[in-house]
Amino acid sequence: MATTNATITLSSADIADNSFSVSNTATLTKAGSATGITKTTGLSRIETSATTNIVLFDMGESTGVGGVGNITKGKLYIKNLNDRGDGTKFVAVLLGTVNIGNLYGGDWAFFPLDGGAGNDIEITPSSTTDTTLEYIMFYE
Amino acid sequence: MATTTATFTLSSSDILSQAISLSTTSTLYKHDTTAEGLEQLNYHRALIPTGTNFDLIPESAALNANPANYAYIINKNTDVTDYAVISINSEVIGSLYGGDWMFIPWSCTETGATADSSIEVQATTHDCVIEYALFHSGETLLTSSD
Repeated sequence: MATTNATITLSSADIADNSFSVSNTATLTKAGSATGITKTTGLSRIETSATTNIVLFDMGESTGVGGVGNITKGKLYIKNLNDRGDGTKFVAVLLGTVNIGNLYGGDWAFFPLDGGAGNDIEITPSSTTDTTLEYIMFYE
Repeated sequence: MATTTATFTLSSSDILSQAISLSTTSTLYKHDTTAEGLEQLNYHRALIPTGTNFDLIPESAALNANPANYAYIINKNTDVTDYAVISINSEVIGSLYGGDWMFIPWSCTETGATADSSIEVQATTHDCVIEYALFHSGETLLTSSD
């Protein structure tokens, strides 16, 4: 097994009367187990100027970017490497047809995936400006 | 405005033949601004009983008006077999097992009669202690009825 740790630190000195800070580390394990996840896509980077839906991971098939298919459980890190620019350009992250949220330039996300057919990870850039994304998936 | 940063660090010495390590920090800004930080925060801790799918972070028109919101959710249970399913509009995102956390942007833009952008949670095998934070720039406040 492998040991992979993911840590988040949220910090603000002025969003509340007192400073706010939360930090937690999760060890990436297989579902319902203390055994570490052993598979990963490795770190990937793409550039696109498309404003249409792009399938980043085809969760039920073997045709997704990176050739990783039939993923049933995983964890995904994704970051929009673009500059923030004027603050209006983003990449929408979708799970199937549901828009989860928008990654503006510099934003990142990390979340678990249950996978399965129809739960593809898709992105839709809001602008034809070249968008660069970096991502890594850990999966079973 | 406020300045809030979210830092992510990932490391493993043995999942690949070479160690991997990455770290990144982002600042949580409002939509359509270049440097104006989100200044509102909800931080909650809730015991989620099993058996029902609850709205953990409800959608609202005010949240929808600014599509740059950020949600952090952690399952504080210590048993790795305890998990809570997180979903939006009946689309399962994934399962948070004991100790797992997630951090996502949340646009709150699902529309239509059956669409619902609320972030939902359902504890499965055991009740789950869930902590969550929402960074936003305004939510719809309810007018008092008494």
